[in-house]
Amino acid sequence: MKDLHSKPILKVNSLSKSFVNVQAVSNISFTIEQGDIFAFLGPNGAGKTTTLRILLDIIQADSGQIEWNLIGGKNSLPFAEQIGYLPEERGLYTDIPIIRSLVYLASIRGMDPSKARVAAMEWLERLGLADRSKEKLQALSKGNQQKIQFIASILHKPIFAILDEPFSGLDPLNQEKFIEYIKEINKQGATILLSAHQMALVEKIANKVFLINNGKEVYNGSLSSIYDLFGKKHVIDLLFKTPAPDNIFQTLSQVESMDRVDDYRVRITFMQETDLKKVLSELARIEDIINLTSHRPDLHDIFLQLVKTHNQ
Amino acid sequence: MKYLNQVITVTRWEYRRFFKPKNELLGLSIMLLVSIVSYFGGKYAFSGSSEKSDLIVSQNLDCKLTERLLIDFKLHEVPAEQKSTIIETISNEKKGILLFNNGNVFTIHAYKDSKVLKNLRTILDEYQRLQKMQDIELSQADLDNILSPPTIIESFVYSKNSQRRVLLTYFFAGLMIMAVLLSFAYQFTAITGEKQLKITEQIVSAISPQVWMDGKIFGITLTGISSMFTYSLLGIIGGILFFQFTGAPVSTIINYLHLPSILLFLPFALTGILIWNALLAAIASIITDPNNSGKSSLMMLPLVFVIASFTVTRDPDSALSVFLSWFPFTSATAMPMRWAITEVEIWKLAGSFFVLIVTFYLLRILAAKIFRVSILISGKEPSWNQIFKLMKES
Repeated sequence: MKDLHSKPILKVNSLSKSFVNVQAVSNISFTIEQGDIFAFLGPNGAGKTTTLRILLDIIQADSGQIEWNLIGGKNSLPFAEQIGYLPEERGLYTDIPIIRSLVYLASIRGMDPSKARVAAMEWLERLGLADRSKEKLQALSKGNQQKIQFIASILHKPIFAILDEPFSGLDPLNQEKFIEYIKEINKQGATILLSAHQMALVEKIANKVFLINNGKEVYNGSLSSIYDLFGKKHVIDLLFKTPAPDNIFQTLSQVESMDRVDDYRVRITFMQETDLKKVLSELARIEDIINLTSHRPDLHDIFLQLVKTHNQ
Repeated sequence: MKYLNQVITVTRWEYRRFFKPKNELLGLSIMLLVSIVSYFGGKYAFSGSSEKSDLIVSQNLDCKLTERLLIDFKLHEVPAEQKSTIIETISNEKKGILLFNNGNVFTIHAYKDSKVLKNLRTILDEYQRLQKMQDIELSQADLDNILSPPTIIESFVYSKNSQRRVLLTYFFAGLMIMAVLLSFAYQFTAITGEKQLKITEQIVSAISPQVWMDGKIFGITLTGISSMFTYSLLGIIGGILFFQFTGAPVSTIINYLHLPSILLFLPFALTGILIWNALLAAIASIITDPNNSGKSSLMMLPLVFVIASFTVTRDPDSALSVFLSWFPFTSATAMPMRWAITEVEIWKLAGSFFVLIVTFYLLRILAAKIFRVSILISGKEPSWNQIFKLMKES
């Protein structure tokens, strides 16, 4: 297991890109090792998709180095058969039978068409779409189209798969299924670079996290260490019988931040060294609290906290 | 090799995407049906018109004229006094023709002009001429002698500009126009359609813009050529059938298939179509919404150049014709046309063809560059200035 995670497959150093008046990516660096599931996280417009497009040479960086440890051509970009890509902007041929589109997309990535057909049918079978293989894409629902798009990106068994928002447009049941598929292709040897917003899902699969905000690196490291660094705080969720009062903040000590979830719910983050006994006694004095839950911050909380701090 | 394999894959995909034998067969069947209907319909229409029309004439008409009129008309002789009554009847019943004469002056009364009257006029002209010939005692043989053309013996040093060569150039130019029009439609669907379906990003993450562009150019050219081939074959078969119907031997049309001309015209036409496809692909690359793009009209540009090359036929040795036969956007049709009409040395043919090949090679690179910079532009369509600026930056 250690060997699997030791060889860098992609090294990005001081990458920058700007568009007219916007600095989309600013001097970011990261390394992805073989076998990683590397989560690229950030709010909308943070520079995630721009970075992924630069990695694939769809657009060019203003400065910085990209070093692939894969077999490539003259431009040092890996050969297409080694890379899988699920773009954020989904799109497939809508007026052509699904199976033909899948075989074509796999064959331009170097897969033998007859093998691609067999593999495509296997995937369609697993995703419950085998009987619709000869239908045109436009006949499928949005969720099913998303499944076809996913198959198209990994059908040729890439060594490195870039999945931009793989869970968007999927219902919770299918999101869970996709997690299993991603884990499976990772077990089979594919390194995964994924960008997503669904922190709860990312937590389940990623081993490394890169958090980007306004084009700049906010955090880069393993998932376990992000909890070590930022996950030792105490988070208490409060549910009120009546609309939550605005002045709770003043009545409590050692509060780091407070978020109003809705009119009745409030999430309070306390500092790491907070004395919980004291906090609970302070909370006991506040009227109308009907429920209180204490937990460690999850990735979603850490994400929000880090972005907030970075913006400040 | 990798490049070649990828180009072949994309070419095959584009070809299979657009060339649909079923649709082609359906189109041909419809054309065949229309031809059959027109042929037999025409025959039926003509058979209906062969019936003799009624003609009312005055009793004092010259008997020679009456005899002639009887061949084509059913005659009804009436006294001169009834003239006004008959004119009124024609007006009321909206039919009938009345012919009266006063010496050499003929008067025709009819409800409206028609084909029958055209025939009547011809007969009257003929009659009048014969009358005048008799007046000056001129026989038909004397007249034929006067009207016979002079005997001219022609001798040319260069005599290869046969009619069949010229006809073949027109045929190939026509096919090129057809191929360009087809390419126009296919390139639009292939490139702007993929942009609208947002497939482009997926494709160019797997293959380079150059491979993608080359595959599209070759695939769509192949589609155009396949259609050209189908319709040419249909034209030849149709021609043979037509000649058979009209009693001419099959060899009449086969004589027009001049092999040396075909061997020369084919590579010129093929390269010409490739050039136009490369240019059309470049234009289509920057169009984001074909319904609202001002650049769509540019797609008709190839047609203007192909038609312009026809000016060569007026004076194949003029400076303009020589220029058109070298200029790569017109030479694919202009040079074969010049070759068919006038004397063109082999080195000039080879040189013009070389320029065509080089132009195609460079145009496909330019098309891929334009595509690369415009690939992710959506929303407002970029201007040419923006495109060239982006190309410089990239």
